[in-house]
Amino acid sequence: MSDEMNDEMQLIVDGKRLDGRKFDELREVKIETGVLKRADGSCYLEMGNNKMIAAVYGPREAFPRHMQDPSRAIIRYRYSMAPFSVDERKRPGPDRRSVEISKVSREAFELVVMKELYPRSGIDIFVEVLQADAGTRAACINAASVALVDAGIAMKGIVTSVAIAKVNGEIVLDPFKEEDNYGEADMPFAFVIRDGEIKSIGLLQMDGKLSYDEIRKGLEMAKKGAMEIYRLQREAIIRKYSLEEVE
Amino acid sequence: MSRKIVLPGDLLATNPRAAGYGTYIEDGKVYSKILGLFDKSDTGVRVIPLKGKYSPSPGDMLVGIVREATSNGWAIDIHSHYQAFLPLSENPEFKPNRKINDVLDIGDAVITKVLSIDPRLKVTLTMRDKVCRPVRFGRIVAINPARVPRVIGKKGSMIKTLKSELGIQILVGQNGLIWLSGDSSRVSIAEGAIYKIEEEAHTEGLTDRIIEYIKKEKEK
Amino acid sequence: MGEDILSDIKRDYVLSKLGEDERVDGRKLDEYRNIEIETGIISKAEGSALVRIGNTQVVVGVKMQPGEPYPDTPDTGIIITNAELVPLASPTFEPGPPDENSIELARVVDRGIRESEAIDLKKLVIDEGKVWIIFIDIHALDDDGNLMDASSLGAISALLTTTVPAEKFDTGDNYPLPVRDLPVSITSLVADGKILIDPSRDEMSIGHRLITITSDQKDNIVSIQKSGSYHLTEEKFYELIEISLTKSKEIRDMLGKI
Repeated sequence: MSDEMNDEMQLIVDGKRLDGRKFDELREVKIETGVLKRADGSCYLEMGNNKMIAAVYGPREAFPRHMQDPSRAIIRYRYSMAPFSVDERKRPGPDRRSVEISKVSREAFELVVMKELYPRSGIDIFVEVLQADAGTRAACINAASVALVDAGIAMKGIVTSVAIAKVNGEIVLDPFKEEDNYGEADMPFAFVIRDGEIKSIGLLQMDGKLSYDEIRKGLEMAKKGAMEIYRLQREAIIRKYSLEEVE
Repeated sequence: MSRKIVLPGDLLATNPRAAGYGTYIEDGKVYSKILGLFDKSDTGVRVIPLKGKYSPSPGDMLVGIVREATSNGWAIDIHSHYQAFLPLSENPEFKPNRKINDVLDIGDAVITKVLSIDPRLKVTLTMRDKVCRPVRFGRIVAINPARVPRVIGKKGSMIKTLKSELGIQILVGQNGLIWLSGDSSRVSIAEGAIYKIEEEAHTEGLTDRIIEYIKKEKEK
Repeated sequence: MGEDILSDIKRDYVLSKLGEDERVDGRKLDEYRNIEIETGIISKAEGSALVRIGNTQVVVGVKMQPGEPYPDTPDTGIIITNAELVPLASPTFEPGPPDENSIELARVVDRGIRESEAIDLKKLVIDEGKVWIIFIDIHALDDDGNLMDASSLGAISALLTTTVPAEKFDTGDNYPLPVRDLPVSITSLVADGKILIDPSRDEMSIGHRLITITSDQKDNIVSIQKSGSYHLTEEKFYELIEISLTKSKEIRDMLGKI
């Protein structure tokens, strides 16, 4: 990421980003829930040019058996990029990056899922990136969150994720591909949201170069962005289920 | 009449004593823990689930399938993430001189009742109810457990309709497994009707359309 | 990772001590364990270091060889970081391909080196289409907590003593690897509203509630990794950054002496 090329790459022109957004503006987010027949819960989500689909299976009997925990559910989270999701075909199967993303994403969901209600079971969260355009881990978490609600899993709140970046010295919300490639820093967050309020940070990573003050600024921006996404997650779920419940 | 849809984490009440089904308490407040419909009454608040697997309560009638026969009873699959067990002592058909597998064998279906649930969420079943029995004939149909109330209908109206229109036996397990028995072509019509109810649960005039559907199918 | 019953038993003791702002090994909450760094311990490697933080031990070896650059960055060298949590280091480590913990470890160490721009990768071009590849291999020997910082320290220490093996590959005279920054990672355990810097294995019995904050010489934060399932509040996060920036300076002074 950090490279001398940064200096050459103009990512902000006349106070606007290359895709016309303001610094604290999200890309367009579209969410649809209950899109898969076989899964217990599912969600299709677009965030700018990102397209992802999340499926939740469970609670179901955890396999292999020796993995079962007699006091709580085991949560699995699999982040996976389709080979055609990026410019150069990605080799199928988990690479090191996917393994790390899956780990930290799972840790965020373990904070909200009420695992102790489902002893000996497994709750599987599978997210496929169909098209990638930066910020895929955040978009996948947002989709997975909706899919978990759709599956009827008991949770203490909702997880909502968004990244901030530093490009041409400016802190910006929800970077897209060019900003991610040539920016100076990237910092994804996932927040635990309960009753419309951010309760804590569940996922936090950062790479690049940021000062203490830039981190503070970025976190404030991320919180606002996450609240907007949270509202869209809610809307998507309520839209689906209110259609079903009119009598 | 529409009730508000709530999501996990939504604040429902500030009095912990009001906490009912589908809620959790933290810091003295009551929150929803599942997606569902908010139901407030004089006695408290609860969330009626819109989705999700079956969660057993004592007294529920279920349809299950025997998965394992052991020296002290039977492990029963109740189509849920809960593990259910029917002890020998809760099956009046069991006598000391009988072989366990002769009473109930792997693969047998049973109509059974939830006796209790222990803190580890292991479910104990009983056959001590006049409805309970092994079912070695008929057909079992699976639907989304959240749709069970629709299939039963208000005060059992839907199920009565199906039974009287088709002249078959039907038992709806709270776990979403439904046992049907009778003339096989009639059972097939009932199965189709049940899927239709599950699919169109949210639409108006469902009972009339089901009667129509059955008529059309019978004429085929 | 399997449960380690011995450290599991320690939990109550750790927590009760913590209630009085004390740690089981007598340290203050913001006190790092003793650090020892030995370099040049593996003569077969281009650079190497053995790092001890208390009883935790990690060996890092650096090997270099010429290779093709990545197509999108033809004028920069390559860093490849790998970590092996070998079974001899802990009863909970299993033989086999790298699991998520060793992958995370390697990637966080890698980001610290990379994002601080400690290595001037532009200086690692040999010819057109030919650059140096730096392999940083982390070998955990004894896990008594905080493998992360031990590995980061090991990596930068090994790099500081690395000689580019140009003669071996007939590309000129050997020369010391140009290192221009000293990234230092500080890992803390976030427990019950308290921050324990450089947690020991016993203290980890409270739970895997870690955060690693890596900074460079100019007090830039270059990498953050929250690791483990726990609620992190905003206030604690800011406090953690401040602590990390302060502590990293002390450790960087040690590195300056290598």
